[in-house]
Amino acid sequence: MRAYVRFVGLCLSLTAGTAAAATLIEVKEPAKIADAFPRQATIRVLNVWATWCVPCVAEIPDLRAISAAFGPEVAIVGVSLDDMIPGDRASIKAEVAGFLDRNRITYSNIYYSGTSDALADTLRFSGEIPITLVYDRAGRELWRREGKLDRKKTIAEIRKLLGRNR
Amino acid sequence: MRKSFALALLLLLSFACMADELPVGAKAPTFSLANAVDGRTWSFHPGDGKVSVVVFTCNQCPYAQAFEPRLIEIARQYQPKGVVFYAIDPNDEAVYAVESVENMKERAVSRSYPYPYLKDGDSTMARAYGARVTPHVYVIDGTGVLRYRGYIDDSARPEERTKTGLTDALDALLGNRQIANTTTRAFGCTIKWKR
Repeated sequence: MRAYVRFVGLCLSLTAGTAAAATLIEVKEPAKIADAFPRQATIRVLNVWATWCVPCVAEIPDLRAISAAFGPEVAIVGVSLDDMIPGDRASIKAEVAGFLDRNRITYSNIYYSGTSDALADTLRFSGEIPITLVYDRAGRELWRREGKLDRKKTIAEIRKLLGRNR
Repeated sequence: MRKSFALALLLLLSFACMADELPVGAKAPTFSLANAVDGRTWSFHPGDGKVSVVVFTCNQCPYAQAFEPRLIEIARQYQPKGVVFYAIDPNDEAVYAVESVENMKERAVSRSYPYPYLKDGDSTMARAYGARVTPHVYVIDGTGVLRYRGYIDDSARPEERTKTGLTDALDALLGNRQIANTTTRAFGCTIKWKR
């Protein structure tokens, strides 16, 4: 019986571990970033960041809180720009994956390996990170915040947008 | 009436948003800043007849660090052609100790910067130029007019570089040709503004 309980406990912890693991997909074409959002997500939050960006790292707890504040109707996808720093791509990608794990980031992330110009053209942003953009299911931009997020204001804004777009 | 009011408001707002961006074609701001290496003041008087490159950069930003060898290479290549380079660190050392003058000096000396590394301790010049990130580059012609603003190259990975914004602008200016892309999007680390 005790062994069975231990076995169930082990299974549960493995399941929890799997559920908590962050995904990191490499994308080179900015147009494919939208594919990372689950179909059922009504509100899609895109956060462009990098491990070397101080304000980006500072707002990770806020993004985790935003992610936790909503159900599957709201999906967050991070776009890491760590590839912009020269070096072995596989090693940098592994470092980003390790960073996601260490920081308990469970929302999906993209390892962007395309050009900065293409990304800035697609997202229509200045190149300054972090930037957070909110889209509806059809990919229409609803809101954006350049610079570090304000947790309460962002949650309130998403709640409002969710109400309008259900 | 309502439509023209809305249009005027939109126009006003767009000007307000752009107010801190020094537009290409504008007269570049003058500065006098201390070189972290020896404390000497370097003064830039736009319109002194020389093509000048002003680069906002810093110690801490990995993206600025990634472009450092490239900037040194470009400076060494264009200084013999009469181009003057100024590197400016606009980050607030009170918030980020790594941006102290001592650390700037260490960096500049250890890497043999071929240009002065100036401290813009209160971020005044970064605001005047409308710099947003490090590295952010400005090319000023001999009459003191801003002719290019943006990135050094479109990629810090030499093998993936497809656009060379800074050297294209310099080649065009030195060759009396029009600069094809006068503005590009500078990526990098947000400037740590003096509060």
